[in-house]
Amino acid sequence: MTPMADHRPSILLVDDEAQLRRLLCFSLDEAGFEVREAESGRIALGEIALKVPDLVILDLGLPDIPGTEMLRALRQLSSVPVLILSVLGDEATKIASLEAGADDYLTKPFGGGELVARLRALLRRSQPLGSGATKFKFGPIEVDLDRSRVLRDGRPVRLTPLEFKLLRMMVLHRDRVLTHQHILGELWGPKATTKTNYLRIYMMNLRRKLGEEIDSAGHFQTESGVGYRFVSDPMVGV
Amino acid sequence: MVMRDVKMAYASDRGAYSDYARVFGVIGLVTLLGWFLPLSYLALGYLYLLAVIALSTGVTRWPALAGAVLSSLAWNFFYVPPRLSFSGLHFDESLLLVTYFVVALIGSQLTALRYAADRARLLAESERMHQTLLDSVAHELKTPISVFRTAVEQLGTGDPERRVRLLSELGIAVQRLDTMVGNLLNQTRLESGVLRPRLDWCDARDLVSAAKKSVGRRLEEHPVSVEIPGDFPIILADAVLMEQSIAHLLLNAAVHTPASTPIRVSAAVGANKKYVALTVADDGPGVPEELRVRLFEKFSRGLRAKAGGLGLGLSIVRGFMSAQGGDVGVESPAGSGARFTLSLPFHPLDDDPHG
Repeated sequence: MTPMADHRPSILLVDDEAQLRRLLCFSLDEAGFEVREAESGRIALGEIALKVPDLVILDLGLPDIPGTEMLRALRQLSSVPVLILSVLGDEATKIASLEAGADDYLTKPFGGGELVARLRALLRRSQPLGSGATKFKFGPIEVDLDRSRVLRDGRPVRLTPLEFKLLRMMVLHRDRVLTHQHILGELWGPKATTKTNYLRIYMMNLRRKLGEEIDSAGHFQTESGVGYRFVSDPMVGV
Repeated sequence: MVMRDVKMAYASDRGAYSDYARVFGVIGLVTLLGWFLPLSYLALGYLYLLAVIALSTGVTRWPALAGAVLSSLAWNFFYVPPRLSFSGLHFDESLLLVTYFVVALIGSQLTALRYAADRARLLAESERMHQTLLDSVAHELKTPISVFRTAVEQLGTGDPERRVRLLSELGIAVQRLDTMVGNLLNQTRLESGVLRPRLDWCDARDLVSAAKKSVGRRLEEHPVSVEIPGDFPIILADAVLMEQSIAHLLLNAAVHTPASTPIRVSAAVGANKKYVALTVADDGPGVPEELRVRLFEKFSRGLRAKAGGLGLGLSIVRGFMSAQGGDVGVESPAGSGARFTLSLPFHPLDDDPHG
């Protein structure tokens, strides 16, 4: 499943809008992806059963199968990364889809560049975790997961154990959206999944300690109403 | 107020229960008064006539006639001698009773005419509103579409430099269309009452940076400073609604002030810790007094609205804020720009994450 350097990653594009499919095919092909199309949930599931693609782009508003049901059916077939396309103002659906197995989402209307950047990030992530890398460098910040050490501009940063756990989680899931519920469940246990206030305070402290300016496009990005995304290169976007 | 007008204008001939109640009340009162006033029974008959006249100016036909019937019976029974029994009437007494009915009919007819006129006026008003809305939606939709069309026609032919310019025009048109469709959807959501805010703890810094990101390049020509004190608490709000409200204010500031006018975003906890406030301030021309009254109403547009728009932005902000139990306000002291403040009830954080 790991795409090789000379291999065009294959994408299954599931959307019932023919024009949108045409346009996306155009820009995805340009960006070096091999695209297959499906106009309905049933066809898409058939395509996946036939040959699992490297990535799936799934519109949540398919005429035949509701979004979350589609995700569940898809997850029974494969663990292929899935990017869902959703509309604004529907945060509950986004969260539900992320919990039902989607890996990321984009809100319509989106730009082609944004889509390609998200897909590349998903492909990177679907490879084994940085071949077991435990040392990361993001701008002025260096993180050593093995030795639980964080440096900012070469100077050590003192983090509490929970702050470090939070940072570790964000780094390991970099360039992907993590829902509040997911982070809370991992850090404070399943009973704490509604205690967003914990998370806000820890995130606030973590950002401050790592010198994240609120004005600049930092590594820790907020997905309003959904969660957080740790962006490895804020200049490029995800 | 408008609702009441509509109800009155649409009242049928039969009249509402409240009209009958009014008739009974007034006639009953006259009867009671008559008992204690040192007036002749004829004078009382005229008092009833006055009551019928007064009633018929405010109710439709059937309640007015009911008033006339009631007055005749009450006058005859209680006051025409012998009292407390129905008596045969003389010609002039009968004439008075006939007058009750004539007055009731004429008066209620006039009332009906007035209601019909009100109804017509309301209809005309709502038609005018619809027409205005339709005109401006049509205009706002068609402008970007015309841009698309023109640009698409010329993209194939022009030289590369021209093409770049056309593409940038296309980008602006797309953004405009996107904003407008978003606004229309939000306004519809607000009016249909399907908007359910999801209150959760938010970091004001997050909200501001997300809003800045969503306004994007339209803020390019304005330096934006964000001053949120380090001890500013996390707040209970709907992140998406707040982000969009802040974005509306930022965009307004960018559109209504000359290029390179600084925009300042700040946050503060209100006096007595009753509320928290997020403020977007600029040094632009400010908001004139006469505009401030209607500023948060829908379809109210700024005087210098160079960017077009439907005038929905601030009405959406107000809707979003009140859905969260908060509000939006504006201050614009002469000569010092505009300050828009979003306020939310302050909720102290009683939960300790270390626990």
